[in-house]
Amino acid sequence: MPTGSQNTQRAASNAALCSYTPVERADPPHWETTLWPHRSLGAVGFRNVMIIAACGLILPAIPFMLAGAGIFWLAFAALALGLLWLAIVQNNRQGKLREHVSLWPDQIAVERHELNGEVKRWSCNPYWMRSALKKSGGPVKNYLTLIGADREIELGAFLTPEERSALYQEIETAIRNLGQSRA
Amino acid sequence: MANAATHDQDDHARPGFFTRWFMSTNHKDIGILYLFTAAAVGFISVALTVYMRMELMNPGVQYMCEEGARLTAAAVGECTPNGHLWNVMITYHGILMMFFVVIPALFGGFGNYFMPLMIGAPDMAFPRLNNLSYWLYVCGTALGVASLLAPGGNGQLGSGVGWILVPPLATIEGGYSMDLAIFAVHVSGASSILGAINMITTFLNMRAPGMTLHKTPLFAWSIFVTAFLILLSLPVLAGAITMLLTDRNFGTTFFDPSGGGDPILYQHLLWFFGHPEVYMIIVPGFGIISHVISTFSKKPIFGYLPMVYAMVSIGVLGFVVWAHHMYTVGLSTTQQSYFMLATMVIAVPTGIKVFSWIATMWGGSIEFKTPMLWATGFLFLFTVGGVTGVVLSQAALDRGYHDTYYVVAHFHYVMSLGAVFCIFAGIYYWIGKMSGRQYPEWAGKTHFWMMFIGANITFFPQHFLGRNGMPRRYLDYPEQFALWNYVSSIGAFISFASFIFFIGVMVYTLRWGKKIEEKAYWGEHADTLEWTLSNPPPEHTFEQLPTPDMWDKGKH
Repeated sequence: MPTGSQNTQRAASNAALCSYTPVERADPPHWETTLWPHRSLGAVGFRNVMIIAACGLILPAIPFMLAGAGIFWLAFAALALGLLWLAIVQNNRQGKLREHVSLWPDQIAVERHELNGEVKRWSCNPYWMRSALKKSGGPVKNYLTLIGADREIELGAFLTPEERSALYQEIETAIRNLGQSRA
Repeated sequence: MANAATHDQDDHARPGFFTRWFMSTNHKDIGILYLFTAAAVGFISVALTVYMRMELMNPGVQYMCEEGARLTAAAVGECTPNGHLWNVMITYHGILMMFFVVIPALFGGFGNYFMPLMIGAPDMAFPRLNNLSYWLYVCGTALGVASLLAPGGNGQLGSGVGWILVPPLATIEGGYSMDLAIFAVHVSGASSILGAINMITTFLNMRAPGMTLHKTPLFAWSIFVTAFLILLSLPVLAGAITMLLTDRNFGTTFFDPSGGGDPILYQHLLWFFGHPEVYMIIVPGFGIISHVISTFSKKPIFGYLPMVYAMVSIGVLGFVVWAHHMYTVGLSTTQQSYFMLATMVIAVPTGIKVFSWIATMWGGSIEFKTPMLWATGFLFLFTVGGVTGVVLSQAALDRGYHDTYYVVAHFHYVMSLGAVFCIFAGIYYWIGKMSGRQYPEWAGKTHFWMMFIGANITFFPQHFLGRNGMPRRYLDYPEQFALWNYVSSIGAFISFASFIFFIGVMVYTLRWGKKIEEKAYWGEHADTLEWTLSNPPPEHTFEQLPTPDMWDKGKH
């Protein structure tokens, strides 16, 4: 663990306050956010690419049709277009990784939805939890972690450093606001 | 969420040799595999040309005999000319170079290695599909070489129908060599299509946040344009050669007039693919040259956006000019006028690129390191080839030049001296990045000058031969053409010697070359993302996305 020994000891003594079980609460969280990996092609771009590719592939249909060999054109053109469509859809699906953070006065919960449907969970009492932003030295610039119990978890490793820095501020602010509402 | 502690840098051992090179899903390893395979196939293909130039060195037939192929000159009367052997040589030189050497090296090799790095993607979108593309390419190559050695027409080995596999020649060619050649092209086409789809998805969907299309480096753009050309044109080729296959084996008559077919249809379909094909060969080269010229002129590239759209328009125009390869097949004058004008329009985007490269160098602090020598050599020679291209684009003049050595000189100037110079520019530019070792500068420069002089001596005299009316695709020629053929052959031997020397330089560099630690060893104007990585880059790069301050220098 890259954390200092002091933190580890303090966290270990509060292990009971953190858990990996699902959090099911009726009351709405005071603050929540969802994080996901970046995909640069939007829905409009996807549509445009498919239109351009389809137009380009349809163009040479005429000579094939005239020669009575339309099937040879159709087979290969449809295959190419279908594969392109499938590839982009699949790539978008791989961008479906999600991290969801919710904060209540007495609980902070993180859920990570993996592509295979697996959901990894972590929750803790925000009072015993600490967030840390390592500007350098971590695996990424502005490495953001939440530390609670005997475990340090990373948050938004797939985001840009600026985004992680902003997220860190947001989490800190949200937790401070909790303290004020409790007081 | 991932446990933070699992992100230690060296948490898994490096894979073994077999796993790394035979089951590779890493885009950098696959890129290297492509480069080595293309080099090996290139050697075969170049060896064929040396044999051809030996034969053409003197009038009469001394090497390619009915009595058997010889390596020493035969005395007069000892040798019966063997036209089939000659045809086989030109056919496989063409097929191998067009499908299995230049595109795999530029698109498969450099494209795989550097496009994901430049856009800040962790890897290709589909790493395992990438592996499949590579092995399909190897299978295609194996089929191509098998076709060369399999029973073909005239009771001899191999097919002698030309790389465009044109019917009726290709339909009546005996043996199964021709079928193997068709399969080779099919398999290589499947490989290219899968590779292209992978590249398109990666380029469109996995650019670093904030890297809009108008900020993407030119080499990445060139790979994207090439990928789109492949995607749109290869299905047409696949359709056409499938029809050829059924004509040969299942009694259809798509290209046979006796059954109501039309052999000219094949030429239309083939060249609808074939013209974009020559742009697939050269466009990735454009990308490499842009980076090299910018780096060694110590200036950002002049006119980034016009450069991007010039590549896009070259790609688009490539699809509407195919029949300029077919002026003499009986097109109407109107059709010829259209194709002539459309062809000349291509000079506009090409001119934009050439002038932008010159403007990049203008007022720059130019340093003639080896990659820059190759790039400027490319610039000059590609322009020469482009000028003869404008000459050939004119249907009236083409009547005279059709099927002469002038055409041979033209397309070797744009492809042999154009695309191949790009490959060498790329190799010398990036070899330190890819291997961690730098080539000896004197050796790179020696290679350049040998190749530059050799290739010019080979191909420039062929303009004279063409203007004097020497037809291409023949084994022998009247002795009036002897002088320039002799000179041309000398040039070919010099070029071949330079290629051997190059192999030596590569072996030396990879084994004993000076280790290079500095990340951006060409200076600060090599400013795309691959220069922020160590030499060679770590096995996994950018699993955390790079940030705009790493790549957005406000220029490219």
